[in-house]
Amino acid sequence: MACVVLGTDEFIPLARAQVSAKGLPGLPVVTVPHPIGGIPPAAVTAKAEAIVDRVLRALTESPGASGAAGGGAGPSMEAPGDIEEFQTWLMEQGWGDGLPAIPPTRERVARMLSGTGRRPDDIAAILVPRLGRASVEAIAANAVLAGALPEHLPVIVAAVEAAADPAFNLQAIQTTTHPCSPLVIINGPIAQRLGIHAGGNVLGQGARANAVIGRALRLILQNVGGARPGKEDRATHGHPGKYSYCMAENEAASPWEPLSVERGFTAGESTVTVCGSEAPHNINDHASTTPANIVTTVASVMATVGSNNIYLGGEPLVVLGPEHAATAASSGWSKDDFRRQVWERSAVPLASFAQENIGRFATIFPEGFKDRPAGAVARAARDWRDIMVVVAGGAGKHSALIPTFGATRSVTRRITD
Amino acid sequence: MHIVDPASSSAAAARTLAPRPASLQGVTIALLDNSKPNASVLLERVGELLAARGGALAVRAWGKPGSSIGASVTVLEEIAAAARVALTASAD
Repeated sequence: MACVVLGTDEFIPLARAQVSAKGLPGLPVVTVPHPIGGIPPAAVTAKAEAIVDRVLRALTESPGASGAAGGGAGPSMEAPGDIEEFQTWLMEQGWGDGLPAIPPTRERVARMLSGTGRRPDDIAAILVPRLGRASVEAIAANAVLAGALPEHLPVIVAAVEAAADPAFNLQAIQTTTHPCSPLVIINGPIAQRLGIHAGGNVLGQGARANAVIGRALRLILQNVGGARPGKEDRATHGHPGKYSYCMAENEAASPWEPLSVERGFTAGESTVTVCGSEAPHNINDHASTTPANIVTTVASVMATVGSNNIYLGGEPLVVLGPEHAATAASSGWSKDDFRRQVWERSAVPLASFAQENIGRFATIFPEGFKDRPAGAVARAARDWRDIMVVVAGGAGKHSALIPTFGATRSVTRRITD
Repeated sequence: MHIVDPASSSAAAARTLAPRPASLQGVTIALLDNSKPNASVLLERVGELLAARGGALAVRAWGKPGSSIGASVTVLEEIAAAARVALTASAD
């Protein structure tokens, strides 16, 4: 079947990456000036009329030989030995994040590989959109770039495997305009052993393990997965967690079972969970002394019309500060009691949505938005069980809401050496 | 200085593009909507004009469950069985 892709000029790099990953780099892409959405239909039909001749030619004329697919320079390459020049070179290759990086020399990568029992040529995952082969060696090379230590490597490998799980929908996470990036949550004894921070300023700077593990995953997704900012990664804004986004659950300060135990692992097992997450948004509540009142505050931060979770579903994450968690668990509330109440209270009247959005959401989530009775509401997740709750952070009367991309599920993997 | 390639290789396998028909005379054109706002407006207008200009037999539209989710195998098979050429959409 002869096929032509229509898109906007802004999305050309992504369209090119997609057709290359399909092994068809010569597949014609015909573009109109950006955007298509959010403009009157008459403006769209005018754009359509301007490209008909090009589409007709693309459908009926031979596009010529396709270039070779695949790529990659091979297992090793030459790079500038001077450390400052190396930074410039790395950015020119599209492999940096803007911060200084450590050259992944063969010696350093070999040392990094000593942190795992897995073979260097073992393929942990194939990463989209580029279909990059995330060999353990390539993962180690990016771990070196990020400043990680050999003992961090098993966590990073497990995070890569989790992100490649189909449930995570990495293709969308990598290429969407939405501001999301994999948040890495660590559970179990490995957090303490590696110094993965779970206390005060948990989502901030200052903890080396958190910084380098999150950064390594990000660089792997960019470099192996081929999601370069402004090219295949189409984020309108992105968010600061795209440099690094990693935390441990503060299990010692939690009144409830940890996330890993909820998901069927034992307390002695170490796990990594990845979520397709936005930046954290603060939940300030200095006064509440009952679970119901904490719920009121948490749910009101969730209940917003501009959230992906409200129409795409997914799993908004509440990172409860230990003091809020203690209040929420008083009166004998379980974690399920808490999330059921939060979900129940996270309702937004459909009357609060713009009519054009109701029309759009009705095609995506008809049960929630199509032909609903007066007074109907939308909630921050499709089901109360989709509200994720972990306990982390230090002293203080704050929690954080971390919404997700929506069309993604968090994935938890056991960390193995 | 030798470094290990941080991009690794790609598993994408080169494939051959389908042969193009010499004209659209008598063919069915498939439209695969990516479900982004106004994508259907663009695709339908291009399809309509192509049919008029190229003498296509018909224009038929298919959809995806969401813009961030791929088309189902069933839909792709239907398109392959029903149409000779296809237009798909990417972008906002």
